[in-house]
Parts: sequence; C-alpha cells; structure tokens
Amino acid sequence: MENQIDMSVEFAGLKLANPVWTASGTCGYADELGEFMDVSKLGGFITKSVTIKPRQGNPTPRIVETDNGMLNAIGLANVGVDEFIAEKLPALEKMSCAVFVNIAGETIEDYVAVAQRLCEQKVIAGFELNISCPNVKQGGITFGTQPALVKEITSAVKSACGSKMLMVKLTPSVTDIAVTAKAAVEGGADALSLINTFTAMVIDIETRKPVLANRTGGLSGPAIKPIAVYMVNKVFNEVTKGTQIPILGMGGIRTASDAIEFILAGATAVAVGTSNFVEPNCTVKIIDGIHKYCDNHGVVAVRDLIGKVE
Amino acid sequence: MTEGQPVQQAQTPAPATPPIVPSYNPKGPFEATVVFNKPLHQKFYRLGLQFAGPGAEAFAKTRPGQFAQFDLSNIALPPADAIPEELKDESARQILLRRPFSFARVAKEVIPSAHSAPGQTAHPKPVSSGVGKIIAEVVYCVLGPATLRMTTLVKGNPINVIGPLGNGFTVPAGKKRALLVAGGMGSPPLEHLAQVLTLEHPTMDAIAFAGAKTKEDLPFDRPLDNLSREIGFWLKEFGRYSISSFVATDDGSAGFKGFVSACILDWLSQNALSFNPAEAIIYACGPRSMLTTIAKLARDKKIDCQISMEEMMACGIGLCQSCAVKCVAPVGGGIPAGDKSPTAETYKLCCKDGPVFDAKEIVF
Repeated sequence: MENQIDMSVEFAGLKLANPVWTASGTCGYADELGEFMDVSKLGGFITKSVTIKPRQGNPTPRIVETDNGMLNAIGLANVGVDEFIAEKLPALEKMSCAVFVNIAGETIEDYVAVAQRLCEQKVIAGFELNISCPNVKQGGITFGTQPALVKEITSAVKSACGSKMLMVKLTPSVTDIAVTAKAAVEGGADALSLINTFTAMVIDIETRKPVLANRTGGLSGPAIKPIAVYMVNKVFNEVTKGTQIPILGMGGIRTASDAIEFILAGATAVAVGTSNFVEPNCTVKIIDGIHKYCDNHGVVAVRDLIGKVE
Repeated sequence: MTEGQPVQQAQTPAPATPPIVPSYNPKGPFEATVVFNKPLHQKFYRLGLQFAGPGAEAFAKTRPGQFAQFDLSNIALPPADAIPEELKDESARQILLRRPFSFARVAKEVIPSAHSAPGQTAHPKPVSSGVGKIIAEVVYCVLGPATLRMTTLVKGNPINVIGPLGNGFTVPAGKKRALLVAGGMGSPPLEHLAQVLTLEHPTMDAIAFAGAKTKEDLPFDRPLDNLSREIGFWLKEFGRYSISSFVATDDGSAGFKGFVSACILDWLSQNALSFNPAEAIIYACGPRSMLTTIAKLARDKKIDCQISMEEMMACGIGLCQSCAVKCVAPVGGGIPAGDKSPTAETYKLCCKDGPVFDAKEIVF
C-alpha cells in the first residue's frame, strides 16, 4: 500500500491538486485532449494563444522534426477572442483544474483588449502573457526580449485583468533570462512561466532552402530540457526565491523524472508540451510517477521538493 | 469535409440508446502485435498488425482513408550493412514524433477452421465491433529513419498505435461508378476503399488507376503479373475484390506511358457512351501535383471527387495545428475557422477535417 502523499501545490494563491499542467499550444482548448485522457486530473491547463482577431496562422510546412525535438512555426492560429468565448469557453467550464488563457497580440493594446474581454469570465483562473512567440512578424518575442517592454506590457495587462492572475511567459532567446524575469516581476507579474521555444532553423540541403515556410521556428522537445532546467534554476535563485511568485517550469518534459528535476530547480509547477503530441496521456503518467518518487524517497508533500537542488 | 455521411452511418441509423462511455480511450494508444512484415519489391513492405480487445473494437470501425499514428521511436535499426547507402546518414537520426499511416486493408482475423478445405482462401468478412481480433495492413516505403526501423519488425513485436484518426472516403447517394486513382505511395487507402466498396456497395462499378514514375515505384506485390493483366485484373490488390486496374508510368516501363490523369482521360474517351458523370465519383490519393491535376479533371468533367491530402503533422489529433490545408471557406454555410469573410480562404486541419476532402474545397 502506497503512503498518502500530498500532491497539492499552492500557485500564487491558487490551490492546485497537483503540479502538472499542459502547456499552451500543445493541448488545444481541451476538447481534443479529452479524447485521450481525463483532463480533470491535471493541476492546470493553458489554452492555445487567443488573439483579439482570428488568425489563420502560417503557410505549411509548419513543423519539422529534429534530433530529440521539433521546430514549429504555427503562427498563433486561433479562432479569436469572440469565437473563443462563444465556442471554446463553455467546454473549459467543465474542467476542475486551474484554467489559464494564453493571450497574444501585435500591440500592447491588443493584449490589453483580450484581457479585458476575458477578465469577467469565472472559469478563467488567470492569463499567461505570451511575449515570447518566435513565429509572428509583430508582437510575440519582440516584447519578450526587451526588459523595458516586458515591464511595460506586464503592467498594462495587469491593470486590465482585474482579479485574475497574470503569469508572464519568458523566452530563452535572451542573454540573461533573469533580467527579463525581473522586469516582468517589476511590471506586476503574479507568476512566471519558462521557457518558451528557442528560435531555430532547419535547412534542406537538397533544395538549399529552410524546411519551414516561415524559415525559422521554435525548437521544443527533450533536446531543450537541460537548458530549461538551468534557466528555471537561475530565475529561481536570482528573482523569485523568497518571494510569493511561483515558476511554472517547462521545456522538454517527457517523464516524471524530468518534472521532478524542474521542481528541484525551483519550479512550483511544471507544464508538458511537445510530449502531448507523442503520448497524449503522458501527463497522467507523469503525475503518477511524481507520486511514486515521493513515496520512494520519503517525501510527504511534493511542495517540499521545490527549489531543493543542492 | 464532404457533405455525405460516412458510409457506415448511412447504412445503419444511430441507435436511440445513449452512447455507452467506453472504459478505454476510444482512439488509444493501443498495443498492436506484428503478424507479418513482408518485403514486396524495391523499398516497399506490407505490414500486418493484429489488434485485440479495445484496439480491435476501435480499428474494426476504420473507414478507408482514415489513418493511425505509430510510435516507432523504440524500434531498432537494421544492422549497418543492411542500411541502404542513401539512408546511412539519415539513419542516425532519432525519432521523436509518431508517423502517420493509412491502411490498405482491415479485416477480422480469420482463424482457419478444422472443416475448411486446405488452401481455401478466406474471404474478407465485414468487420463489426465486439468480436475477435482485427488485422490491419499497412504498405510502407523505406524513405527515412522511421520506415527504415520498421523493416526490422518481426512477428510478435508490439507497436504502439493511436487511431483510427480523421475522416475517410464516403459514398454519396446515387453513385454507381467509382474511379480509384492512386499515385505512387497513395495506393493503400484506395486498396482499403476497394475492400469496403466490395463489402458495402457490391453493385458499385469500381475501377482502379495506379500511376508512378516507373514500374519500380509501384507499391504493389509483383505489379507485372502478365497472367492477371490478360484477364483484366492486373493489380491483384484490386483484382482480389474483382476490381479491374490500369497502370500508368511516366516512363512507360509498365502500362500506359504518361501521367495517370492522361490514362483516365484515355479511359473516359473510350467509355464515353456508358459514362454518366453525375453517377460517378473519383477517389484519389497521391502526390500533390497529381491531386491538382485530378481535381481539375474532375471539375472539367463534372465528376464528384474526394481526395486524400497529406501534410507534415506532429500529433495527428488536432493539438499541434501543423497540418494546415488551404481550403475555400464555405459561402453562407457555417463560420470558416480563422476568418469570417465568406469568400476568404481558410485553413483546415488535415488530421481532423481530413485527410479526405472534397476536391472542390481545396485551394491548389
């Protein structure tokens, strides 16, 4: 008989049943994933990016596989905030975990407008501010790489999102991620999520052209995990340690041991992205695996592992 | 997607009882077992997978044109000396994502009974859920690190499969003649369609056209069986369902010299008197250039046409949004995803909205 393990974590005032989330853009609006797993078992769920107007996304090819990873350049394809509210939100109401809506835009006003449209919706626990998408011409990563802009946009959206939590998603494509993390905190971020994908390129040597129609894409998957663990640890040590600001750690998580590494590095919770594509029920296995690890190592509460790397 | 209902639903009305929630994920992942992995010729193989239990329940319902996602990441490479020179470099790559395959045939496993005569070939039985095991057959071509790994699969090996996925071919009401058009590796779903037409639409007059660059690029078992050719069933993959077939090769190394579209035009001109476009339908799968030509041919000749599209996909289940297919947004019907202007082009997903589309929907 397994011991009773307390799997819950407190995430910026939210009580989560467990620390495992699905990452934005890899789990749709929950309906698709629901065919493969009980999404109510998740600790948290983040929707695909929502923008003020519908976006068709980039031409294809939009993805290419790499060694232990993949590049994507979807281009924030989404139905837009109006249809999101009408068509997608009702399904999210059935979910018992924390639901976050990832919001994106081309201008600060775009982000603010989406937050304003959604801030009265009861089902939404908070927003994830996407200032780190590498695949759009305007907005996205341009905001996320300049500390002054990170602070400005965070502060603008924070004042528009009412009582909802604001989590800022950081790009790894910067010299020092602790600097942008600090800027987000100064702007009023309640939580930080890191890392988004790395801007990357794959070239077809026969045609001598980039494989992706967008030329570049974001690298994700197990290949980026050690860098992501390092960056989470760096932000934890230099920015969030001793504060009430939690980190949602992500980047190449495939197994329970990957998730535990992130938690030890300083993440309060973790999000699984690319692995959902390969094994759509992998988050359930990861939750079970974390439980087992705690049991085997005499850990009574998973939160006791946060930031405990020596 | 096509307006027509899936064939299965058109024949059996939905039961009035509420659906029973299955105790398993209806699309898997399932563990299938390899029952054979037979080299055909050149780089082509035919792989037989056995599904039992919930997997059999799920795959018994496979419609032709639907596909499945195979996890090939844990399968071993062949020994170094068995790796073709042109794949030596590529073979070192690791596999992360699943690979999509459509099926060439799906049937109940036939256990030879003590009473059946020796050598008696079992006729495919209509697959129904709830009974026995299912054998699903895939034809693949060794083109990269994943298909190279597949060649090492032997009887008894497990393989992790998600599916069946997407929407398959459908038979709209009033169709009496089906033209099955395969280009290169596009033949498996049409072979599956041939099987299903025979079972569910036995009065359908079907004919198959298979095109490739050369005779070596035809993904069939012994494509040049002259005896079969003389009796009109050149490709036995279609002949087994009493469907006659034409072969076209770009270089003329087998059958008609030229593109498969030219071969169809040739056939249409010879059968003009007995051919009623309104009662005919073209089903096509193959390279994009071929599909473009076939869609135009169908439009010019006023023949309905369903085509199976292919796009790079990461998940196959609608999560990643990679496999976008540019479509004509419906005029006055429904809200086109991504754009509300009724005349605009819109992206649909190959994995969820397809892979089979009405040819008129696609923006080529």
